[in-house]
Amino acid sequence: MILPSAIALGREFAGARFQIAPVRGLSVQDGLVIGSVLVLIACYLLPLGAVVALSFLVPVPGIGNYWSIFQNATVHAVVGKTLWISSLTVGLTLLLGYITAYALVQAGPVARKLMLAGVLLPLWISVLVRNYAWIALLSPGGIVNSILIRWGWLDQPVSLVRNSFGVVLGMVHYMLPYAILPIYAQMARIDSTLPHLARSLGASPRQAFIRVFLPLSRPGLAAAAFLTSIMSLGFYLTPAMLGGGKTVMVAEFISIQVTETLRWDIATTLSTLLLLVTGALVWRFSHLLELATAKPKT
Amino acid sequence: MSSSFLTIDSICKRYGLLRALEAVSLDVTQGEFLTLLGPSGSGKSTLLAILAGFAEPDQGIVRLNGRDITRLAPEARRFGVVPQGYGLFPHLTVYENIAFPLRVRRSRSASINGRVRQVMELLQIGSVKSRLPRELSGGQQQRVALARALSFEPDLLLLDEPMSALDALLRRDLQAELVRLHRQVGTTFVYVTHDQQEALALSDRIVVLNHGRIEQIGTPRSIYAQPATRFVANFLGKNNLLQATAAIGPLGRLHFHWNGHRIAAGVTAPFEGPCSLTIRPEAIVLTKVGHSSQGTKDRILGTVVNHTFHGASADVIVAVGHESLTVTLTAAASPPVPGDEVWLAFDAERLWCLPEADTISPAASATSPELAA
Amino acid sequence: MSASSPRSLHPTRLAESTGRAVVVFLVLPLVAIIPMSFSDTRYLSMPHDGLSTLHYWRLFSEPAWRDSLLQSVGVALPAACLALLIGLSFCLGAWQRQGNMVRLLQILMLGPLIVPGIIHAVAYHRALSFIGLFDSFAGTVLVHAIKGLPFVVLSVSASLSSVHPATLQLARSLGASPAQALWRTLLPQIRYGIAAGFIFAFVTSWDEIVVTLFITSRNVITLPKQIWQSLFLNLDPVVAALGSLALLATLLALLATSLSGSRLRSLPSPNTIA
Ligand SMILES: Nc1ncnc2c1ncn2[C@@H]1O[C@H](COP(=O)(O)OP(=O)(O)O)[C@@H](O)[C@H]1O
Ligand SMILES: [Mg+2]
Repeated sequence: MILPSAIALGREFAGARFQIAPVRGLSVQDGLVIGSVLVLIACYLLPLGAVVALSFLVPVPGIGNYWSIFQNATVHAVVGKTLWISSLTVGLTLLLGYITAYALVQAGPVARKLMLAGVLLPLWISVLVRNYAWIALLSPGGIVNSILIRWGWLDQPVSLVRNSFGVVLGMVHYMLPYAILPIYAQMARIDSTLPHLARSLGASPRQAFIRVFLPLSRPGLAAAAFLTSIMSLGFYLTPAMLGGGKTVMVAEFISIQVTETLRWDIATTLSTLLLLVTGALVWRFSHLLELATAKPKT
Repeated sequence: MSSSFLTIDSICKRYGLLRALEAVSLDVTQGEFLTLLGPSGSGKSTLLAILAGFAEPDQGIVRLNGRDITRLAPEARRFGVVPQGYGLFPHLTVYENIAFPLRVRRSRSASINGRVRQVMELLQIGSVKSRLPRELSGGQQQRVALARALSFEPDLLLLDEPMSALDALLRRDLQAELVRLHRQVGTTFVYVTHDQQEALALSDRIVVLNHGRIEQIGTPRSIYAQPATRFVANFLGKNNLLQATAAIGPLGRLHFHWNGHRIAAGVTAPFEGPCSLTIRPEAIVLTKVGHSSQGTKDRILGTVVNHTFHGASADVIVAVGHESLTVTLTAAASPPVPGDEVWLAFDAERLWCLPEADTISPAASATSPELAA
Repeated sequence: MSASSPRSLHPTRLAESTGRAVVVFLVLPLVAIIPMSFSDTRYLSMPHDGLSTLHYWRLFSEPAWRDSLLQSVGVALPAACLALLIGLSFCLGAWQRQGNMVRLLQILMLGPLIVPGIIHAVAYHRALSFIGLFDSFAGTVLVHAIKGLPFVVLSVSASLSSVHPATLQLARSLGASPAQALWRTLLPQIRYGIAAGFIFAFVTSWDEIVVTLFITSRNVITLPKQIWQSLFLNLDPVVAALGSLALLATLLALLATSLSGSRLRSLPSPNTIA
């Protein structure tokens, strides 16, 4: 399907755009597209497609796997937990991200540079190392506990990781830069005189914010929501490391089916469903992709 | 003219080391069309921002009907603003942009609708009311910005270079429209532009700004005829500035010495000695040598070096000794060509003189010297 | 209008302090690992009796850590080259083409960035076993290249968007062959985008853990996998030392780019979705 259309597209393109030298057959550009798309199909789409196919074929052909998944109480619990933690973390991330992005646009040039560096820095440090640091900081023998005890705020150590709190903390920490950057990119685009202008037209500071600034920054917020939603549903590493086996989300559940219980039917079916949800989100919000990958201006 | 409506008293504004405004004082009269004219970077927008309440001056006071409003919030001032680039809210339709000031004042929706319709009719933009700003032409955007600023019947309308983004033809139409609008609504207009022709065409009074200082305040005619500084003399219209010496003759009549010539003046100067003599290009009469010419007494011989045709008029550059003068001719049947010898005669009533640049004090330039012709 | 935000338009003060607190929260775990890395004990703690660079030396002397470092470089370099080859080909070929097909292909090229890692893990676990590349160097390179592909596509197409649309036609009207036009006029203009894409692809591979866990066993042990395995034993301060080095390198890179005003575009995400 894709290949013949790509060739047809290439021909049409070669004829229409390159009127200087009419190209017979395939142009260099056609070759490049076709070659790279073939590699993508062979090395990416095929393995993914196999997962989808397996979910309908193994152990017996049909939609039996889906049927049993919908009736599986464990799966219900895991999906419920995933949705609950995802919405909580996405909500927190967007709220904090919006405020931080606002602080960024309001900050002076030096403060802004420093803050932006602080936002970008975590992106370059392995999430393994970051989670390691959280464990070191928050575990019962960790630094935070010893400080709280020394200050007399606690009598005995409490565990701040290997539970849902740790997972939420780790996920919010991971997702915050991905929320801050697109929101900030959008806010920086807003004509900074418009809120002033709104006030000269009679709006109070609150009205100027709600009626002018907020609607104009909404595309950034939507892009951030899109990015973080996709991320939060598929989180594997952070729940696995900071959840301590107590807070099992969908991705970790799938991994258990692959490595421990060897239930490929459940693994492929859940993977297919997760893929479907992700695909639907991308399909619905593909217009936000550009903003979601916008680079920050300093 | 009643007591002053808006008073601007010794406003100073600095951005770091840059003095954007320095000791700017100005009275705005109710109902007038006042233009702030100056080159780019002269501080016009800064002054407008201070009037609108978008920025606070470092020093000085703004009073409205005697009341200090220097630190009053923008929404409490009731000034309509049309900023540079129009500042339309990109997420609101034309209708909602215009209704914005009424909505935030929580007017009743029936009265909002009526008022918005009225203003849209006034500016003839009813047909685009449900479009977004990006779907409008430059001229339409400007009208919407005007409508929005007028919709809540402000006490004062502040306009920052509203024509600068428009092409010449549209600009002329909209200038006429702006004058009509000013007459119709009767609101005080404070209008910012760097275009001197626009300022001359529209204003009741012009304030000329340069480097954050006021160079001159006056009616378009007085500023054009009697510039207070060399800057104003050059900035408004074409002008000839000549290094001359003023002298008072035995009968008390003023005359000038320039380039070896004696030029009689119809004005009195408050001083004698070196000065800048100004004469507008259209105040010089040019006749070809050989033709019979009037006023032979003070005529000066020159040679045409260049000729530029402008349609209704033509500019001729004439060399006199080592200096050159620009002369504007209207409708000449056989225009002089480069190389022609010509006689020049100055209109004595339209000569004007300025003291040498360094002797002028800024305080004296703030008010136009009332020199009788 | 030149407005220099004279008075706070909103409860800006509160937002500013919250924003600063969030930034502190973001860098807190990164800063915390620095003192841990100088610990003088074999288990994770704050330094007891004195500072020690013991764990930095262990990184390069203990075989397990040294080998995983070498393996990571050995995987990331070819993976980044492969990602660059595929991604650059696609971007050059698809440049200036419009239509739904191209748009779809572009989104598919970004797939490895968007699709959750666990799905890739399941998919490649099956696929590599099927073709006999499970736990192999080649299989790991291939998968890492695919994961780095979106970053190459993103940064190369970003720099292509600022190239004059008639560049190729112009080159050809001046006598260049199609290949010459690409090689001599287009590529030089997008060299920063290419460099950025390569760096991001390299870092992606260097960081990759989720899929690697599922497609390797005893043979291939990259650095992240070595970290992962070490975490099962205890919180080894070597990881803190590693993180501190990464932090140092990042800070130096940030400093260098901001000083030189380099045109290397900083895309937000060099990391995989965990
Ligand atoms: N927010 C600001 N920060 C620093 N300098 C400014 C700012 N606004 C204006 N200026 C400077 O003040 C001077 C006057 O600016 P402005 O009032 O915008 O001039 P105009 O509108 O007459 O072109 C200019 O030199 C400008 O660069
Ligand atoms: Mg201006």
